[in-house]
Amino acid sequence: MATYEATVVQSRRTLVAVISFLVVFIVLMTIALFNAPTMGGPRVMASVDTYLAEVRRTALPFLGAVALIAVVLGLAVARVIYREWPNPKRRTNLIMGYLFLSPYLLITLTFTVGVVFFALYISFNRYDIFTPPEWVGLANYAKAFTERDFLQSLYNVLWYSLIVVPVQTAAAILLAVLLNAPVRFKQFFRTIFYAPSVTSSVVITLIFIWFYLRTGYANFFISSFLGLFGIEWQNINWLGDPRGLIQLIVQAFGGDIPSNQWYLRGPSIAWMAIMFQNVFTTAPTFMIMFLAALQDINPTLYEAASIDGANGWHQFWKITIPLLRPIILLVVVLGTIGTLQVFDQVYLATQGGPLGTSLTPVFIVYEEALGTQGPIQMGYASALAFILAVLIFFFTFLQRRFIEQETQLY
Amino acid sequence: MAVRTQTLEGAATQSPSKPALHYVNLFLRYLLLCAIGIILFMPFILAALGTFKTNAEIIRFPPTFFPAEWQVENWSRVWNTDLGNGGTFPRWLFNTAFLAVTVAILQVIFCSMAAYAFSRLEFPGRDVVFSFMLATMMIPGAVTLIPAYVLMTKLRLINSFWALILPGAVGAGSIFLLTQFFKSIPKDLEEAAFIDGASHGQIYRDVILPLTRPALLTVFILQFQAMWNAFLPPLLYLNSPDKYVLNVALSIFRQQFSAQWNLTLVGAMFNAIPVLILFFLFSKYYIEGVAYTGIKG
Repeated sequence: MATYEATVVQSRRTLVAVISFLVVFIVLMTIALFNAPTMGGPRVMASVDTYLAEVRRTALPFLGAVALIAVVLGLAVARVIYREWPNPKRRTNLIMGYLFLSPYLLITLTFTVGVVFFALYISFNRYDIFTPPEWVGLANYAKAFTERDFLQSLYNVLWYSLIVVPVQTAAAILLAVLLNAPVRFKQFFRTIFYAPSVTSSVVITLIFIWFYLRTGYANFFISSFLGLFGIEWQNINWLGDPRGLIQLIVQAFGGDIPSNQWYLRGPSIAWMAIMFQNVFTTAPTFMIMFLAALQDINPTLYEAASIDGANGWHQFWKITIPLLRPIILLVVVLGTIGTLQVFDQVYLATQGGPLGTSLTPVFIVYEEALGTQGPIQMGYASALAFILAVLIFFFTFLQRRFIEQETQLY
Repeated sequence: MAVRTQTLEGAATQSPSKPALHYVNLFLRYLLLCAIGIILFMPFILAALGTFKTNAEIIRFPPTFFPAEWQVENWSRVWNTDLGNGGTFPRWLFNTAFLAVTVAILQVIFCSMAAYAFSRLEFPGRDVVFSFMLATMMIPGAVTLIPAYVLMTKLRLINSFWALILPGAVGAGSIFLLTQFFKSIPKDLEEAAFIDGASHGQIYRDVILPLTRPALLTVFILQFQAMWNAFLPPLLYLNSPDKYVLNVALSIFRQQFSAQWNLTLVGAMFNAIPVLILFFLFSKYYIEGVAYTGIKG
């Protein structure tokens, strides 16, 4: 008992030592980052001499201080460890454990955790990399909700998630169930089905842009298909068509929605064309996950059900779907995270157009950060990214609650 | 076997008294599978055939299936493109392959080290760090994009491969996958090695790594593919033609040859073919990796 308590105290102290070391490290990194000389700043980059002078003036003292304090802290932590852990085997475990983790910890703390804190800080500043950040409080966040572009981009990705996530999840389940039946050449079919998911989204997007041309295969297939029933099809330029889904329905009844009421128009044809392409490439990935889960379902469940007289349809809804729930949750969450951050397709296919109906938050973040549409606004871009992140957390939280609650019913 | 069938088409398939219906069912199922396979693979087939068409033919309506005349020189024309400043196709192919291989190797090394610590060593804070790692998987990439770009600018790593290699060298998903795999390996062997006086480094290198080769290969392949297919980070960090990777070069291509779809498609094929070949060779590892963690580039 006594040794157990001693171990707990040891663990707690060591943990405090290690965590405080890491926290101090991150804080120092952030300070050093702010004071590092800026590549490309007009004044600093005037000549090599001015640049080196700037390095000497700002970076070296700070980087040196960081290194010095890191070494001192490291020694202090080592002292604590040696004093608290006299047992050599446990001590070796402790030291080796953190040694094995050190590449991961250093890289993640710098490039993931450290930069998130940095982003949070600059989201309250006006910052263009070249001049020091200037505190503006919540102005960036306030601005985000008054900019039409950003509001429209949120509107677009919400439609996108709302349509793409259910469709791709359902498609993935159907493909998986189809492949899980006893068929020959299962491996072959699985490989073929999965092929669209392994190629780069750039390649698939380029091919689909070509399909969606006015003279492309998309129009050709639709007009051939409708031609079978004698219906005339007017070729459309898919990726350049801003008409919204709701707008089309209203137009069918003879009305129209003006462009200043864009939020009533629904997803545009261009946007839905991109949605279709996304479903096409992501459904096979999720199919693989469902397939693995299906193979874990105990066959005797189906045997028992069929003895009780349940048909295939009942078995699918009463056995397969409930048992797949954890994977469905995972797929829905991953799908939501992915769709809310869609970028590649937009950058290549539409650049946000037509009429902003395919703008997405990540695309705007990219534009603001690189200053392609005006001055570089890192702070504003970070604020947008954080708003998006809050949205993503909110949705994954909702989905988790919702799907887990449902599970408890069974 | 027959039980699984029911999940699909109902009890009829199982019944031995209706062989005719059974075969009809079977035929329909293969028909459906083939149809889906063709639909899912269609973009590649049409694009591959499109690369041999003349530009006039490729944008004509109605589109053709086979090229009227096979223009094989499209491929050599694209291979010999030169954007200036060292921006040539072989160069981009090399850059892409180099980055993908480097990142994948680093991930295998660093992630297996972390996984060894998580699965084999007992030390205070291990479970805290593990939960922390799972939590970082929830951070959306959009949030780290801007500050990482600032950081790379400050470190003067813009337009350098280091900007992609450094943050890409570890991955929470790979560590998670390897930890699960390492845990499934019995501890008898390494306990024997311990008694013989082996250190943790030796056990990691001589016992664990050789035993977990399939999982390491899975991580390698998934990360290779992820880096090969990455688009936004290279677009952000690499901005001179001799540093482009294929994906970035393709997006430039699309602007330059906006009307020449046959050439753009050749570029797309150059990008797709290596990954597809790798996938067909190692599809088992791909699929196991995706099924395990749900991560994909």
